[in-house]
Amino acid sequence: MGRRLTGFRRVTISGIKNFFRNSWLTIAATAVMVVSLTIISSAVVLNVTAKNAISELSKNLQISIYLKDTASQGQVTQLTQDLKSNKAVASVTYVSKADAQKQFNQTFKSDPTLVAGLQILGTNTLPASLEVSLTDLGQITRVGAVPSEDKYKNIVDSVTIGKTDVKKTIARAASAQHFITLASIIMAVIFALVSMLIIFNTIRMAIFTRADEIKIMKLIGATPTFIRGPFLIEASMYGLIAGLISSGIVIAGIFSLGIKISNQAEFTATYDFFTSARIIAAMVGGSIIVGVFVGVLSSLLAMKKHLRLKTW
Amino acid sequence: MILLDRVTKNYNKRGTALKSITLHVEPKEFVIIVGPSGAGKSTLLKLLTREEKPTSGKIIVGGIDYETLKDRKIPLLRRKIGVVFQDFKLLTNKNVYENVSFALEVVGMGNKEISKTIPKVLDIVGLTGKELSYPSELSGGERQRVAIARAIARQPKILIADEPTGNLDADHAWDVIRVLEKINKYGTTVILTTHNQEIVNKLKRRVITIRDGQVVSDKAGGKYK
Repeated sequence: MGRRLTGFRRVTISGIKNFFRNSWLTIAATAVMVVSLTIISSAVVLNVTAKNAISELSKNLQISIYLKDTASQGQVTQLTQDLKSNKAVASVTYVSKADAQKQFNQTFKSDPTLVAGLQILGTNTLPASLEVSLTDLGQITRVGAVPSEDKYKNIVDSVTIGKTDVKKTIARAASAQHFITLASIIMAVIFALVSMLIIFNTIRMAIFTRADEIKIMKLIGATPTFIRGPFLIEASMYGLIAGLISSGIVIAGIFSLGIKISNQAEFTATYDFFTSARIIAAMVGGSIIVGVFVGVLSSLLAMKKHLRLKTW
Repeated sequence: MILLDRVTKNYNKRGTALKSITLHVEPKEFVIIVGPSGAGKSTLLKLLTREEKPTSGKIIVGGIDYETLKDRKIPLLRRKIGVVFQDFKLLTNKNVYENVSFALEVVGMGNKEISKTIPKVLDIVGLTGKELSYPSELSGGERQRVAIARAIARQPKILIADEPTGNLDADHAWDVIRVLEKINKYGTTVILTTHNQEIVNKLKRRVITIRDGQVVSDKAGGKYK
């Protein structure tokens, strides 16, 4: 156990020394890794933001079916079931006349004249309604057409379908999200490959520079782990440092740019989400893990090709 | 200690390097292997350190049968065999102390033990006081003695010296040979290859002559003709 610990300590120290020995290569390898990781995490952040914004906006997307006072319970149930048969329908909520009045009072509580005006009428003139929310924007016209069918003429008073400007905004956001996803995946793959190539080369150079040392190590009975270890540590260092820098950049970006849009309803929750300690820790940890993974993978490939530990 | 039974080594391109060699070396023996360049001496040593595998035949060193030796056990075998080369193979960016200490670190020896061992081996090879010198500041003979110190620091049972005096003038060559004799006296089996006739003849040890991949003579107290 003691020997293993001593060995591990030596391997680590040797790896860290190698990391600092070739400063230009180290800077190049780390910088490219920072760019790749920053692109990857920015892509994730933008995606989550766009997705949340879309779902926030979609909440406004409702079909309201105002019912005549004469509509019977059975007829309303029939219509509800008919609406629910479309998969794009997330929920159908029945709002009774009494509920409608409560909502009205709640909405206009700051305007007592309006509330008083309603009371003057004596009876509740607000209609009962079915509030239909959707998961798929494309189905809105189709679902909206259901209550307008002839068989519901007697129970449906009128139908309101979303606001057109909201619809357009959501459609734009959705297409932007698709574009962001696609572009970021392509960029992330390209940069990850470039950084793998650079780390591969860095480790290859390190192997060539230390060829004599490696040969002697083999001859005096060093284990493969002892020889490989320093290269793995060196490559992990690229991942560790690049992970820290890139998550720093992304988090700084969230705080400096995000704060400007955080007061808009569709971004508030997302901003709070990304600025919570748990998510910041996860972003830093995630970047480091991805960075170390890319580093270790490239270094393993370089060692497989150039270390020739097969012929011992 | 060392047993080679009808060992043959063929290289695809260079043809046969060793033809059915049979040898037996006792523990604590001092054996000199001589022969012209290309006779197969280096191949023989590479088989012993398991840098090469024989094409056929059996090799047993210190009770380890190379045929059944798994690759991952090779490092453990190498720790039992010290090797010294003609070109020293010292790390030029490390000083004497670090070069020897490196060999001990590799096998996982603790720092305290290392700092106790190094003065002892440097004393054996006569380099006390040179701990902080770099290889470039040493003479050829001194460099070779550092290499020997590195090889014996792990107290191997066998020391293989491949032309250790090849790059040295007569005086320095004898310094190195005397160190090898001293190590042998302490109980380490020494296998020495050399071209130096004077050394072979004065040492009066067992001499194995290899020519064209075959043992042509094997005599105790032999001579190099």
